[in-house]
Amino acid sequence: MNPIPVILDCDPGVDDAIAFLLARQLPQLNVLAITSVAGNVGLEHTTYNALGLVEFLDWDVPVYQGASGPIFRKRVEASSVHGANGMAGFDLPHSRTTAAMPAWDAIHHIALQQQGELELIAIGPLTNLAMAFLKYADLPGLIKRIVIMGGATAAGNTTPAAEFNIYADPEAADIVFTSGVPVHMCGLDMTMKALMTPAELDQVGALGSNEAVFFRDVVQDIVGFMKRIGILGISMHDPAAVLYAADDSIFKAYPAGIRVETKGSITQGKTVTDLFSDAKWQKNAFAVMDIDRDAFVMKVFELMKKY
Amino acid sequence: MTSRIPIILDGDPGHDDAIAWMLAKANDKLEILACTSVSGNQSIEKTSYNARRVMTLLGIDAPFAMGRERPLFGEPVHAGNIHGDTGLDGPALPEPAFEALPLSAVELMAKTITDSSEPVTIVATGPLTNVGALLILHPELKPKIAQISIMGGGLDHGNWTPAAEFNILVDPEAADVVFKSGLSLTMAGLDVTLKALVFPEDFERIRALGNPIATVVAEWLDFFYGFHRSIGYAGAPVHDAVAVAALVKPEILTIKEYFVQIETSGDFCRGATIADHYGFNGQQPNTHAVVGIDREGFIDLLAEAAAWYGKEQA
Repeated sequence: MNPIPVILDCDPGVDDAIAFLLARQLPQLNVLAITSVAGNVGLEHTTYNALGLVEFLDWDVPVYQGASGPIFRKRVEASSVHGANGMAGFDLPHSRTTAAMPAWDAIHHIALQQQGELELIAIGPLTNLAMAFLKYADLPGLIKRIVIMGGATAAGNTTPAAEFNIYADPEAADIVFTSGVPVHMCGLDMTMKALMTPAELDQVGALGSNEAVFFRDVVQDIVGFMKRIGILGISMHDPAAVLYAADDSIFKAYPAGIRVETKGSITQGKTVTDLFSDAKWQKNAFAVMDIDRDAFVMKVFELMKKY
Repeated sequence: MTSRIPIILDGDPGHDDAIAWMLAKANDKLEILACTSVSGNQSIEKTSYNARRVMTLLGIDAPFAMGRERPLFGEPVHAGNIHGDTGLDGPALPEPAFEALPLSAVELMAKTITDSSEPVTIVATGPLTNVGALLILHPELKPKIAQISIMGGGLDHGNWTPAAEFNILVDPEAADVVFKSGLSLTMAGLDVTLKALVFPEDFERIRALGNPIATVVAEWLDFFYGFHRSIGYAGAPVHDAVAVAALVKPEILTIKEYFVQIETSGDFCRGATIADHYGFNGQQPNTHAVVGIDREGFIDLLAEAAAWYGKEQA
């Protein structure tokens, strides 16, 4: 089977960085471009980190810069989790520059070239994708599938109701969910279960390559953060979404109607998910609810051994 | 008798309300001080008529008063599709043997609580309109409310809309008052009630008890089962009975503590019960949320209650 042509839209971000490490080695994916968006930290950092990561991985993929904040509201960030520079203080080699087009133009341009085969993997706030849909009316017909890390059918992680990526730009997220392109939502229901333990992280580091050592070291601050909220290890949110995009065989996903609350007083950014209600919403999405954790960790090892 | 928990039954019967009341009447841990009706599954006229019929059938000899026609805000919402046109379709029931008292549900609740020597527990199996109004109009009675056991909400999902369960959706403002009240709240939401399923072998077991009330209960369950099967459920979820089970047989339930808020606005989330799973609000839990049930133990509880009516008549 030919690899799937994809664009990786991201806000590196510590777990984005791990997603890069895996995406670089996944034979099922042909990453044609990386687009950056403000999210975990500001756009200047996420773009810088994306460029640094492709250089570190000696990866010949263009990086296009995207939106510096949400479409309709003020920017929020998660620097308390990812560090002030978004990379837990790590500074990667840096000689590359961004490609000329803005992210949304690049998405449309590449989608046209791929003639309906392109898939989008979005692991940050969905601002760039929404901008692309707002600008290009023909885009929905050109995108085969969108896999996102974001949202939750149940509990949020930024507010009780909302997950960070959706909370950061709820209107953009709803534009994406209503675009007509099937959205596969890798939300907290699944990604919280994509847990790697401190021992497993050490085993990755022990593989010895620069990339494997970076993998282990860059997540350590988050391991500390998770420990303080009572979880031993790190939930691999973004990497799990990238693996799902490549091969969904170790996941469980269910057809669902999903919309984003943009107006509630305590629920803004909630991905309201209709799995069984009497309202019977149109099924515009798939809610990815479960993962075989052990198989996930095996796949991570398998990919990291390639470095 | 002094060891019995004094309760007020506030509901919108409704099949599962009727079964909840059947359970409450039969259990020697509870003493029913009053019953009140609320607009919900059907109009206030229908739920009040049903309440009086159910009380007459079960022999609940307690004062009864009608709730208001509508929620605290907004228009009434009913669930005629689930409970039928009467709000309690199925077996023939006796005509009510008594009238409603000439006072409102809220005033009957207030009087009952005032007159009680012990703090009173409210079992609310419909929209929280009456309970919310009671707390707004009579805040001085809060110390005399031992707890409120609610069927409503869902920590993760709704049923009437994707985000909201019916009872909370009908009157979110009332629910908001209740959840902010600081009173002890037990929430039997969809997290547990969709697991409180009754299957044909269960209602055949109850039917086989042979007493007239067991027969009616079996027919209610039969009706409720038929409807729920037609919309894809595996069995009949006897939602409201879990709010009573929480008082009389908590050992069959799994209960977790959460800080729960009610969303009253929004495009999609009005009526959602939002639980703080990870403690982000930094608030102390305000809700004992029932999330699991020993289904066999629950069926035993229902069957034992239905059997009690046979012994009562013997």
